[in-house]
Amino acid sequence: MKHILFLSIIALALLLSCSGGEQTVNGKATLEMWQFWTDPAIRPTIEQMVADFESQNPDIKVNLTDLTWANGHEKIVMAFSSNTAPDIVELGSDWVPEFSTAGKLADITADVLPDTAQFYGWTPGIHDNTIYAMPWILGTRVLYVNKTLMKRAGYEDNFVPLNWPQLKEMCYKIDSLGKDIYGFGSNAAEKHRLYKKFLPFFWANRARIMSRDRSFSTIASDRGYAALLYYKDLCDSTGMVDTQRRLEDAFLDGKIGAVISGDWLLKRIHNEQIEIDLATSLIPGPQYPGPSFVGGEYLAISEQCQHKAAALKFVRFITNTENQLRFCRANFSANPSSKTAADDSFFVETPHFQTFVKQLGLSRMPVIDEHWVYVEDIIETALEKALYQGAPPAQSLYEAKLEIEKLYKE
Amino acid sequence: MTTRKLTGLLFASPWIVSFLVFWLFPLLYSLVLGFTDYRLMSSSYHWVGFDNFIALFSDATFMSSLVHTFVFVLGTIPVTTVVALALALLVERQFPGRTLFRSGFFMPSITSMIVIALVFTNLYSRGGYIYLLAEMLGISPPENGFLLSNSTALLSIMAMDIWMSVGYYMLLFLAGLKSIPKELYEAAEVAGAGSWRKFRSITLPLLKPVALFILVINTIKSFQVFVEIFVMTKGKYGTSTAVFFIYETGLNKFEFGYASAAAYVLFLIIAIFSLAQFRLFRQRSIW
Repeated sequence: MKHILFLSIIALALLLSCSGGEQTVNGKATLEMWQFWTDPAIRPTIEQMVADFESQNPDIKVNLTDLTWANGHEKIVMAFSSNTAPDIVELGSDWVPEFSTAGKLADITADVLPDTAQFYGWTPGIHDNTIYAMPWILGTRVLYVNKTLMKRAGYEDNFVPLNWPQLKEMCYKIDSLGKDIYGFGSNAAEKHRLYKKFLPFFWANRARIMSRDRSFSTIASDRGYAALLYYKDLCDSTGMVDTQRRLEDAFLDGKIGAVISGDWLLKRIHNEQIEIDLATSLIPGPQYPGPSFVGGEYLAISEQCQHKAAALKFVRFITNTENQLRFCRANFSANPSSKTAADDSFFVETPHFQTFVKQLGLSRMPVIDEHWVYVEDIIETALEKALYQGAPPAQSLYEAKLEIEKLYKE
Repeated sequence: MTTRKLTGLLFASPWIVSFLVFWLFPLLYSLVLGFTDYRLMSSSYHWVGFDNFIALFSDATFMSSLVHTFVFVLGTIPVTTVVALALALLVERQFPGRTLFRSGFFMPSITSMIVIALVFTNLYSRGGYIYLLAEMLGISPPENGFLLSNSTALLSIMAMDIWMSVGYYMLLFLAGLKSIPKELYEAAEVAGAGSWRKFRSITLPLLKPVALFILVINTIKSFQVFVEIFVMTKGKYGTSTAVFFIYETGLNKFEFGYASAAAYVLFLIIAIFSLAQFRLFRQRSIW
């Protein structure tokens, strides 16, 4: 019997030791932050920022927990659902609404509203005129052109395509250089990627997914249809169809004339010291350069956070101009959300970064709400059918329109 | 209850508790969820009866994922079983380098599925070795690679799966072959039986228990195909299977109620197939 009592006490002690951590230790407010920057190139900079913040605010301690893109979203959803969410969490731009609409994020409007003009990319962070997340590091896409191929196709060294006819003509000419040379890098039906490449063309033609009052879908409008026809023709006639990574490989190998990509490609060229005669340009529109797709990283505070003021202080610290610059320098990022940071000489002196800064001002993101995960699916299916399964583009868009409207009616 | 029994129970309690908490409870709870409209991020949910199950059968995405799953199961299991048996008969014979061949065939089974899927993604892509081999053999591969075409993506994944799992089943057949008494073959030879007759009348019937085991576990495994789909195509190009549908519904759209209903439909299908296989083999048993 003594043994049972002894074992029971041990079991009880173990159970008690598993109870939740304290929010305040030695008079310090302890903040838990979940973030995705695990790359050795940037992790020390994040740690240094945390150390700097803690030395400036001795009454606050910040604990970092790393997430991976493979399952970070699932972990965050589980944490919010089980009321064990961290105080501060880094969210992808298309994740913010699912938490803000469910009432899981703290309202930070009062504190950040006066500064909204100083940052890009507020759209995902706002729901019902309330701000729930602060834009941190954004990511837009621009057009990369292989100048060696472009010059072989008869263009001057300083040429960049600014509109659709110029882009198509350049891609045609490059495509006709040889059997294994392609004009344009056309994304395969990759989940979460294909629609991001098409939407800039769609938006540039002034098409919209939904009506302004969101009562019906306008995806199958004449403008939307014309954009899809242009994109399909570009892909069918000159495109090498493959995954984003392989398109970038082929572009760097000199097999593709033009490809749409983000600043990660510049980082790769920089880190791997790849020799390539490169031009970057804004995404061409029907007549003038048009919008591109922008996503990014956002910082949000859990509604259940017990030290909201301290958490907000940290969020404002890490997203301030100085720290965004530190981050971008360390990570070779070209898309700070801070407009003041974007004015820094780093973005002027680093080749091609100005293209990103200028594109960022033109870029857009879809209006994301609680239905977005389904709408994205519907758009990607429509594009897959039209581009790669031989379905008539008009029919694909019309089916998408009906499905989107059904979704909103339900 | 005696002290001795109590002590035993206490020592077994870690397993019992983990079984109850991490196995039985989720199993029963997901069954209950299948009858609700529970979404992970919503605060409330309602009992919807059989609505989820009815909706599944009018859901084109689920139905097509079921079709793909059946194609995968019916396409891989017979080929895997026959090839595994053939390999087992081959490597059972005495010849130089036999161990090397056995190890070689078995090697893919102990390699990570993710690693294999990534390697094959490259092999199947435009310019990959399988793509180039197909060109050399005069078979014109899909322009954008095997995995970016609706007509070849699922078949390519099935071929990889067969290549990967055949070594494991070969080993099981090999164990079955070893257990057949040599005397039976000697007696058959005395009676004038040829190789084919010995195979048909001795080897095959005595391998039935092993074959049944292989069929059942391969059926369950094939119905649950997921990792290779997730890594290689993300369910695009006609490769979305039932488990991928459950993953997408549950962990991307967070519709736990609907995903649970789909999981139980799949469970029922696997159970029916497994029972059918048991019955089929029992009826035709030589014993």
